[in-house]
Amino acid sequence: MKVATDIGLLYKRYTRQMLRNPIWLFVGFSTPVLYLALFTPLLKQVTRAPSTGVALELFLPGIMSLMAFASGSSAGFSTIFELQGGVIERFRVTPTSRFAILIGPILSGLSMMLVFDLVVVLVGIGFGFDAHWSGLAVLAVLLCLLATTFAAFSVATAISTKEISAFAAVINGINLPLLLLAGVLLPISSQTAPEWMQVLAHFNPLYYLVVAARALAVDAYGRPEVWQAFAVLAPTCAAMLAWATRIFRRAVA
Amino acid sequence: MEPIITTTGLRKSFRSKRGPVEAVRGVSIVVGRGEIFGFLGPNGAGKTTTLRMLTTLLPIDSGSATVAGLDVGRAPKEVRARIGYVSQLGGADELATGRENLVLQGRLYGDSLATVTARAERLMAALDLADFADRKVRTYSGGQRRRLDIAMGIVHEPEVLFLDEPSTGLDPQNRANLWVQIEALRTRGTTVFLTTHYLEEADVLCDRLVIMDHGEIVAEGTPRDLKREVAGDAVVIVVHGGHEVARRAGRILEHEPSVREATVEDDVLRLYVEDGATALPVLLRLLDAERIELRTINLSEPTLDDVFLRQTGRSLRDGGPAGTETAA
Repeated sequence: MKVATDIGLLYKRYTRQMLRNPIWLFVGFSTPVLYLALFTPLLKQVTRAPSTGVALELFLPGIMSLMAFASGSSAGFSTIFELQGGVIERFRVTPTSRFAILIGPILSGLSMMLVFDLVVVLVGIGFGFDAHWSGLAVLAVLLCLLATTFAAFSVATAISTKEISAFAAVINGINLPLLLLAGVLLPISSQTAPEWMQVLAHFNPLYYLVVAARALAVDAYGRPEVWQAFAVLAPTCAAMLAWATRIFRRAVA
Repeated sequence: MEPIITTTGLRKSFRSKRGPVEAVRGVSIVVGRGEIFGFLGPNGAGKTTTLRMLTTLLPIDSGSATVAGLDVGRAPKEVRARIGYVSQLGGADELATGRENLVLQGRLYGDSLATVTARAERLMAALDLADFADRKVRTYSGGQRRRLDIAMGIVHEPEVLFLDEPSTGLDPQNRANLWVQIEALRTRGTTVFLTTHYLEEADVLCDRLVIMDHGEIVAEGTPRDLKREVAGDAVVIVVHGGHEVARRAGRILEHEPSVREATVEDDVLRLYVEDGATALPVLLRLLDAERIELRTINLSEPTLDDVFLRQTGRSLRDGGPAGTETAA
């Protein structure tokens, strides 16, 4: 089918562009590893975790959630550059499916994110993290849902703002409150956060991912956080994709 | 002439802070299959906007357009399959090689990898790209990039190729080279529709052209017919003694039967005469009899700029020679 072929072609193109940009890859790999190396010791002290492995059970899921969020919300930067370089326009005058132009790069970003996640888990194992692979596999699905949600939002924002400063302002303005209200680094729970903060966190899709990720890291599928995360993230992702496709169709008719 | 592009009363306006701006105000044209057809006009004349409507990139406000027998507004997807478009930016992937760019572009039109690879090979040979086909586009010179852009525009063998200001930013040598390549498209049977603000480009390249200004067509025809309409040759006289003397010279000469038109600007007197070679001695004798001294005198065949000047009262050259024009 033409749409599937188009998605495949644009997926490959985007992946090729990223692989030929080694600085980008280096940043993608080094950021989470730096977090692991420089933040885990602090966390171990603060939470009085008996071992680094236990501290990582709390922190590694947070880092992976953070990476999904960051990889998603930064997706629009390349859209801006491609708009300005005439690349998007070049695709638009071909009979390529508009949905493929949107989703091809997003899927490529997901693959890249999963590779980074694997590296982080392997490094974590080196520090004493006890990996539960089936739980991590379920987590991978949730990570993809969240990353896709924010990537769709980011690309749609890029398409509507068309230039880097307005785009960066929107994305940065949204990123910080979402990150702080998700308990990525330190958990938001009844012991750590005031009630209003716990209430606000429940309006943040990233929060659901973070708490589910912590459950899945210890293979606790049965905990309500897991199904709640699916119940929130799956429809949010679908809605965001539908909205972004509409923005895309209209703005770049 | 078999029409391949027709437009009727095409209009487009944009919202701006100071109210709506009418970029295109009722453009009606017919382009025949196999022609090289040009839109000539200054920046902001509405050329690119018209082109973007014809290539499905901008919705049409009112009026209609058909390309390759298909209504652009109703069947944009089918139109896209039959046209190629090269924007001013080009839009090739800098980190990919020329060959990779060509193959991807062809594949997006739904052709098989084998078909596209073979076509890319032929195109790279035809457009002198073969020597650096496997180098990243980032390393290409301006002229090489433009040739790749054009190759990407025709890799799916479209019926019509749209080129937006194809030679902007190229040096004269690369520009001349590009003209040869565009000429060659004609022999393949491709219709070429281009916009330009270079007079020479329109003159050398186009079978027919329209001159656009402020969103409207002000003249249409072959370059030769357009220039012939201006009537004969242009005589440009610069006098000693400034504006007053130039005006006096104009008053004397405009009654001469061979002079069709006389305009004065500063100390420059511009005359359009039927036949320069026979008129010139007469004009010189008259000026001599009135003791008007000349600084320079110049006889030239009319250019498209004279056509533009005649229609709009302004020069397309914006006061400077064409060679000093900068990229838009």
